[in-house]
Amino acid sequence: MKKYFLIFSLLILNSSFSIPAGILKKADKVIAKFYEVENFEKEVILIPREINEVTKSEFGDENFFKITSGNTFLGYGYIGSAQSKAATFDYLVLFDKELVITKSKVLVYREEYGGEISSKRWLKQFNGKSTKSDELRYNEDIIPISGATISVRAMTQSMNDLLKSLALIEQKNIL
Amino acid sequence: MKKIFFITVILGISSSLAQNINDTIPKDFQYINSAQRLLSEKNGLTLGAYGEITYNQPEGDNGELDVQRMVVLLGYNFNNKVQFISEIEFEHVEEVFVEQAFINYSVADNVSLRGGLMLVPMGIINEYHEPTTFNGTERPAVYSTIVPTTWREIGVGLTGRIPDVSLGYQAYVFNGFKSTASDNEGGAIGLLKGSNGLRGGRQKGIQSTVDSPTLSTKLDYYGLPGLRIGLAGYFGKTQAEDEIESLEGSTIGITMVGLDARYRYKKFSARGSFIYASLNDTKAYNDLTGKDLGSALRGYYVEAAYNLLSLTAKQRLVAFARYENYDTHDNTDGIPSNDSYNRTDITTGLSYHIAPGVVVKGDYQFRDNAEANSNVKNRLNFGIGVWF
Repeated sequence: MKKYFLIFSLLILNSSFSIPAGILKKADKVIAKFYEVENFEKEVILIPREINEVTKSEFGDENFFKITSGNTFLGYGYIGSAQSKAATFDYLVLFDKELVITKSKVLVYREEYGGEISSKRWLKQFNGKSTKSDELRYNEDIIPISGATISVRAMTQSMNDLLKSLALIEQKNIL
Repeated sequence: MKKIFFITVILGISSSLAQNINDTIPKDFQYINSAQRLLSEKNGLTLGAYGEITYNQPEGDNGELDVQRMVVLLGYNFNNKVQFISEIEFEHVEEVFVEQAFINYSVADNVSLRGGLMLVPMGIINEYHEPTTFNGTERPAVYSTIVPTTWREIGVGLTGRIPDVSLGYQAYVFNGFKSTASDNEGGAIGLLKGSNGLRGGRQKGIQSTVDSPTLSTKLDYYGLPGLRIGLAGYFGKTQAEDEIESLEGSTIGITMVGLDARYRYKKFSARGSFIYASLNDTKAYNDLTGKDLGSALRGYYVEAAYNLLSLTAKQRLVAFARYENYDTHDNTDGIPSNDSYNRTDITTGLSYHIAPGVVVKGDYQFRDNAEANSNVKNRLNFGIGVWF
């Protein structure tokens, strides 16, 4: 019995970051609309395991990618997941070629409260931030939303983690 | 050695299987314990709670210490689209209520259908009533006297958001208040009264009487930085048991509107709420039941608060002042207006947030009413509240 439990736990703990098809489809729609292109390619950037282990954000098999259309390099994209009070939500962040945020979008929000962070206007606050930006502070740099405090904090933290992780990746000359 | 080999094999197998598991496990999980981790899985159980323990000391009167409420939140995500959410409340230690119990079915991005026992969206506190989300040991009195918090009924409806314009909406059909009960002698007992308006009519999903549906709607706009504005409406008639339904005055009509605003800018925050309810047929109701229900209820409050600690500090020490006026006899039909129902409370104090989710509160309330020889006692309150 104990052994089965061990196997089960390992299975859970060892599952890596993989994105459901529905979420990928939603992300593709946002990308197409943002760059105003019908066809584009996502070239996955694989982050070596030892680096992924030290970055706070998770880099898996398909969630960080270069976006190109024809021969034009448009920018980078990252699909992440964060924890609100009782559930996770998934988001997409688009960057320009210099890793400056150009767009962020909540793809799926699951909890009954806190979905206000999907607001287009609120998410605009992250535009222009980059790996060179100072850490974003909740309530100072990022304006809170009444009734959505936990989600606002979660999104702010995720963005900070992502920018820090990308700074490290830049440093290692992986891109 | 064998064991290590076994584990290595399992690790290898599971990582290859992982490619097929349609789930995302964020790295943040490394920083929370395994119980939390298990509980916050997308397809799984959610466990939480909130509670408040209060001490009220009116001037020159007996003080009261009370575990005012302890509420256990239990939720289950059946899949990405279907959730069950419930709150089981222990009030004053000995009374048990179900505060919420509903199914949320996400039918499209940002649109959900809901059914079950749900909170009526009116103003701020009825929906956001966890002790760490409001200042003052006691909830604003507008939210016990005018909006009978926690106001919940069984119903179905729609809730959603339009992210492009930062607008949230809710629309539900609920069962309504029960205004009268049969006295088994052909007469009616009135459940609504002048001092606290509709409060006694809440059915709370307890073997509720149903005869006509009510409509509840709310719009929330959060597109301006730091500001959130809500506009709510509630329309319908009260319910009465079949035996007395035909008696004139057994039911009344209710139209309630509520406007609320919450604002935050760095250390400063402010909120306010205005609620007005117009009640029809209260003369017939009062004649039938001998009660003194007003024909209009009105209440508002404004509150300003300032965090005394640095913005970067993990804790917050919030000083606040709140002014409320609420009148359950804003208007009356056929009965004289009782000035003691026109009340004003000024509350000022501190909320010390030791950690997000834990608050210690202390405040003093200057309480008054419009009666010539008003003798409402001022009081000192302390409380501790948690929410996780």
